[in-house]
Amino acid sequence: MRWGMAIELKRCIGCNACVLACKAEHFVPPQMFWNRVLIGEKGKYPQVTKLIYSVRCNHCAEPKCVKVCPTGATQQREDGIVWVDDEKCVGCRYCMVACPYQMRQMYEEEDAQYFPGQELTEHEKIGKLLYPHTPGVVQKCVFCKERIDSGIAQGLTPGVDRDATPACVIVCPTKAIHFGDLDDPNSEINRVIKEKHAHAFHPEFDTQPSISYID
Amino acid sequence: MSDIKPYDFMVKYQQQKDWIDGRGNFIAFAFFLGGIAGGLYLAAAYFDNLLGIFIAFLLTGLMGASYMLHLTHPMRFWRMMSKPGTSWIARGFTFIMLFGLFTVITMILMQWAPNATAAITTFKVLAGIFAFAQSIYTGFAVSYVSAIKMWNSAIVPVLFVTCGVSGGLAILLAVMLGQNGTQIVALENIIRIVLIGFAVIVAVYLWNATYSSTSAKDSVIRLIGGSLAPLFWIGVFLFGIAIPVAISAATYWVHDASSGLLLTAVVSEIIGGLALRFAVLKAGVYTPLLPAE
Repeated sequence: MRWGMAIELKRCIGCNACVLACKAEHFVPPQMFWNRVLIGEKGKYPQVTKLIYSVRCNHCAEPKCVKVCPTGATQQREDGIVWVDDEKCVGCRYCMVACPYQMRQMYEEEDAQYFPGQELTEHEKIGKLLYPHTPGVVQKCVFCKERIDSGIAQGLTPGVDRDATPACVIVCPTKAIHFGDLDDPNSEINRVIKEKHAHAFHPEFDTQPSISYID
Repeated sequence: MSDIKPYDFMVKYQQQKDWIDGRGNFIAFAFFLGGIAGGLYLAAAYFDNLLGIFIAFLLTGLMGASYMLHLTHPMRFWRMMSKPGTSWIARGFTFIMLFGLFTVITMILMQWAPNATAAITTFKVLAGIFAFAQSIYTGFAVSYVSAIKMWNSAIVPVLFVTCGVSGGLAILLAVMLGQNGTQIVALENIIRIVLIGFAVIVAVYLWNATYSSTSAKDSVIRLIGGSLAPLFWIGVFLFGIAIPVAISAATYWVHDASSGLLLTAVVSEIIGGLALRFAVLKAGVYTPLLPAE
């Protein structure tokens, strides 16, 4: 089993719903982004193409971050999900430097608030109880592994059942993001990848990302 | 990374900041101290200079302290030896520990059991191996980062170790000047050769980077004519190469060079070595994920 995503670029409207869903799901602190929407341009006037890419940790099959981590804090599960063990991370930032996609961030400002000088919002207060973040530790997208694990425990199928699927996938208003098991030849994601000729994002980085894009 | 605007993120050449800004400054210091400590040990062991070996040991201690200041959870430092199989930081940490251990044994034997020549030689060689490893691993830690094309070069470890040896030799020269050593001329000759080698390696490294990729070329442009030009031209070129080479050349013809002049070269070379680590780390840029022209 290896979880992966396929993202249809023509469907993505750059609404940032995936970014906000991730922020809400994991109570991601201010200035921290576990996923992003990149916007660029290709070509010259009048032949210009706008590029919109929803990006996050690629949970690479050959992750540089896992290799360079000196403590083993950055680990890869059998299902391909790369995550950081807060108790083992020393904060050397080698993983951040080594990631060619730059999808890792250090959580340092423990007291950062979304509205500085005002009281914490109810969402921030709840977040500190439900999903406390450890200061001085590297953070990144974890493919909503909590949702996947609890969903599977309930007999649900990630990528098919809403409660077992990453938050960014289920909120996408245009259904641009597909999620599923890359190792299952009959999975929906493999059908989409095959039929729509999905390709890896910057394959020259040589990390075999689990997220592919469809032009 | 918070000073990068969300709309700028990875759509233009993005400067590496995790290993240079804030706490990142300490890893640049650690790489520098590790380099000169290793170089100093090798030079001091060759010239059988106990004080030089002791200073190399102290510099390694400072390197460790600098490393600790770089970490956000320094009390977990012992975990850093967990993955020497794949991580250069883990390997380096192991090298530092073993270098420290063998250096202490060597110093104890040299001071209190000077007749145990076989044991002294054995531990001196062992410490020498790890001194070299400590000096060169910082280069491998940097060159392993394939995401930053300027760093991802086989020349970086050679550059870092040459710079470390050059700085180490300079410190040993200062030590010998203080001791009125008899081997100063021999040491000066070695320094001349290493300095020329260092200058050639810096030039080859930058020249090679301009051909390796567009992002590496961007890094070189930043160094030579961009925002990092003062650091490169004043720090690396003037202090690290020009002044030491000029003084070294002068002392070749004027054999009775003053101690003040030689110490100027020593200080200049140390500043140059530090500037080189900062310049290389600061110049690293990531290739944009999207075009934004």
